[in-house]
Amino acid sequence: MIEIEHLTKRYGETIVVDDVSLRVEEGTIAVVVGTSGAGKSTLLRMINRLVEPSSGRVLIDGRDTLSIPEDELRHRIGYVIQAYGLFPHRTVSQNIATVPRLLGWDRKKIAARVDELLDLFQLDPGEFAGKFPHELSGGQQQRVGVARALAAKPAVLLMDEPFGALDPVIRSKAQDDLLAIQRRLGATIVLVTHDMNEAFHLGDRIAVMDQARLLQYAAPAELLTHPAEPFVEQLTGTAERPFRLLSLTRVKEALEPGDAEGEALVLSTTLHDALARLIALGKDALPVIDASGKAVGRITVERILAHGRLPA
Amino acid sequence: MSSLRPHLSLDRLGSVIAVLIGVALFASPFVVYRANRIVAGEGRMLTAALPPAGALGIILTGIGVALCAALLRNPLPRLAAAILGLATVVPIVGWSATFVTPLGNTFARVSPGLGFWLLALAFALLAADALTRLRLGPWVRLAAIAVAAGAIALLLLSGAWNDLSLLKEYANRADSFWQEARQHVWLAFGSMAASCLVGLPLGILAYRVRRLRAAILQILNIVQTVPSIALFGILIAPLGYLATHVPLAAALGIRGIGAAPAFIALFLYSLLPVVANTITGLNQVPAAVTDAARGMGLSPRQRLWQVELPLALPVILAGIRIALVQNIGLATVAALIGGGGFGTFVFQGIGQTAIDLVLLGTLPTVALSFATAIVFDAIIDLTRRGPT
Amino acid sequence: MSARALTFRAAALILLVAFITAPQLFAFVFKPLTVNDAPAIYNHGSLLALTLSHLRTVFLATLASTVLAVGLGIFVTRPSGSEFLPLSRSLVNIGQTFPPVAVLAIAVPLVGFGEKPTFIALFLYGLLPIFENTLAGLSEVPPQALEAAKGMGMNARQRLLQVELPLALPVILAGIRLSVIIGLGTATIGSTVAAKGLGEVIIAGLQSNNVAFVLQGGLVVALLAVLIHDGMGIAERAVAKRLGRPVDEVA
Repeated sequence: MIEIEHLTKRYGETIVVDDVSLRVEEGTIAVVVGTSGAGKSTLLRMINRLVEPSSGRVLIDGRDTLSIPEDELRHRIGYVIQAYGLFPHRTVSQNIATVPRLLGWDRKKIAARVDELLDLFQLDPGEFAGKFPHELSGGQQQRVGVARALAAKPAVLLMDEPFGALDPVIRSKAQDDLLAIQRRLGATIVLVTHDMNEAFHLGDRIAVMDQARLLQYAAPAELLTHPAEPFVEQLTGTAERPFRLLSLTRVKEALEPGDAEGEALVLSTTLHDALARLIALGKDALPVIDASGKAVGRITVERILAHGRLPA
Repeated sequence: MSSLRPHLSLDRLGSVIAVLIGVALFASPFVVYRANRIVAGEGRMLTAALPPAGALGIILTGIGVALCAALLRNPLPRLAAAILGLATVVPIVGWSATFVTPLGNTFARVSPGLGFWLLALAFALLAADALTRLRLGPWVRLAAIAVAAGAIALLLLSGAWNDLSLLKEYANRADSFWQEARQHVWLAFGSMAASCLVGLPLGILAYRVRRLRAAILQILNIVQTVPSIALFGILIAPLGYLATHVPLAAALGIRGIGAAPAFIALFLYSLLPVVANTITGLNQVPAAVTDAARGMGLSPRQRLWQVELPLALPVILAGIRIALVQNIGLATVAALIGGGGFGTFVFQGIGQTAIDLVLLGTLPTVALSFATAIVFDAIIDLTRRGPT
Repeated sequence: MSARALTFRAAALILLVAFITAPQLFAFVFKPLTVNDAPAIYNHGSLLALTLSHLRTVFLATLASTVLAVGLGIFVTRPSGSEFLPLSRSLVNIGQTFPPVAVLAIAVPLVGFGEKPTFIALFLYGLLPIFENTLAGLSEVPPQALEAAKGMGMNARQRLLQVELPLALPVILAGIRLSVIIGLGTATIGSTVAAKGLGEVIIAGLQSNNVAFVLQGGLVVALLAVLIHDGMGIAERAVAKRLGRPVDEVA
């Protein structure tokens, strides 16, 4: 768990981060979004003290980060940056082993951990362990960057635009992979991005920043239905808000009893995708089945539209 | 990192300079006096080297500059202080020579001592640091070097330094000095011109024909690796043969020993920077630009003259600058094989352990190569800025 | 490296070693260049001894320059030395307009004849390329790699030893190579100030008008320089490759 309390950073007269407080629960992803220059990266870098706060404090699992020596603190916090910062002179496995080596793990334990991570990120150890970063594709470099950050089993993972350098197709795959790995490891992640879609895709909670201030910190649906300020509404895309809302909601929540003709949808489908299917097929309703294939009810255009309606 | 510091803190570099100035003023002889040209010298501290007013003037100037260096951070006042320091100490060392030399004694020699050199070094370092931080534009730099050259000429013509040993050595050799100077310039710049005539087409050829590129560069690399005197030596044998067996060659002044092998060696040395930079310069012309030129129907020749060469010019000029500075230095060695140039005084001076004679050869060489470097850097900046 | 290039190098090396250990075997080549029955092969000392002392001077001077120049390069790129950085860049530029011979010549009246002035000249002039390349190498380290290193909790020393220096190494080695080559040339001229070295052969030839001496001295020095330059280039590429760098076509 990360608790950020009244964190402020000033450079001379300029305030870069202005009295920000927020709390990231154990095992969740908090996404910080905002325009460039909003103070997102500075906020992130104050968590591992790459930037020293002017005032306020950060607690990790209840402990004030200022009470831990800088380097020791960073050993416990995974850190991924946009260009990954892989060491060009070290192989993939040496890169991943960086923090374990700093911590003085024994060779066997390091080797086992590296193999485990390579497997987890779908990089065949036989093929990739000995490669140098410049021999990898962008997507592979990104995975090595995240694997390296996770190597010493950190309590917290900080990610600064980790998908920024990937092209759109690889990016969404990488996001799905990250989600899967996060669910599996139960890691606590703070991720900075300027991409709203990414924020809605990944965030358990989203923090919106503008001009050094935290405008709103809430669950994605809350952000759409009750934007705290006009800027939040604008950032989430005024026109797209109903559709974003639909993609956050599953068929399960709009299910109604009854039957319908046509190809069945699964309970876990998002309303966004269900509506798309209904429009494409020119139907008003479709049957719904659960994971085992048993019919459980139906979904209608009318109900979906009701779910997309924003409170006045 | 860029947090504002309080204004009156000690500048580290400035403190080092201040310490240098302190050592120079109070712990080193300002001039060295010798009863004649050959005997060992004896140092004269500031107070013994100048009348009280002069010594006091230098001490006060030195302390003032030291304080500026240690306490001020703004480069402009630091530069002003450094220039003031140089303008004080450089002419005064000539006065000191007059003061120390016994009246009517023509054998006595006075040279600048460690103290003078340290002061000059400290002021020059301060000026160099300030100039670096000011990031002057090319025109200002050209003007500055012209002013500096004018000031040095004025100093020498005014006779203020005439009692210094360096100028006494010059007075004894005034004629041969200018003859060797012409020879030095001819060796360095003439061979450079020849190398441009050959190197530019060779570079363009190597750029166009990929297969030739590696071979040409490799050969020139090897030539560049051979130490100067060894290359002179290797050239002497065939040129000597040529001179004795081909009357025309001898008539043209080609001999085994002398300027010919030096000229050819310098020519060969300067080929690598010219060719390599021509290739690099042409290589880094953006593909989009040459594509566009082709798309507009420019012929290969038009592309070369109107697009590629103008865009590659700064890099090519940088190659010429490297080669010229290198040539000016290497031309000194030509004296060893009878090729003349400033090296003549250097090697004579080494033979006679006469440091002033060595300096008579060294200082003009360094000044020439320094001025060349500055002028070329400015020109390169101007061509970079030009049509972009 | 192609087999042809390799045999070429091997042949050059064998030729050089054969000549400096048993020069008389090659007398027939140089005999035609002599007049008045002058000796064809340098006879005032063993070529082998001269070569070794030549190499020793260059090696020791370069070693000393390397230690100091790399140390200085590290110092001015640390926060505590940053005030010296702009000036040191300019000084390297200015220093290189100074001909190496001038440094040698000025050293003689100050410290006398022999190895000393040569060593001083080699040492001082050798600092420049190594210092320049250390600066270049250290400042070319990708900032993201440094940011990541810091973010993973490497302290300043670990960053320097594990990230910065290894990444700068190929560039620093190139500087050392340049320094060695300039040193070989300057040491040759050092023979004019009575340093023991291969320049003696050339100088002796010039003084006694014996073109054979001049040529063999020139050839030995040239071959030595080319082979050392080449050998160090190979070492550099090996290091660069081990560090996972793509290698340029022509260094």
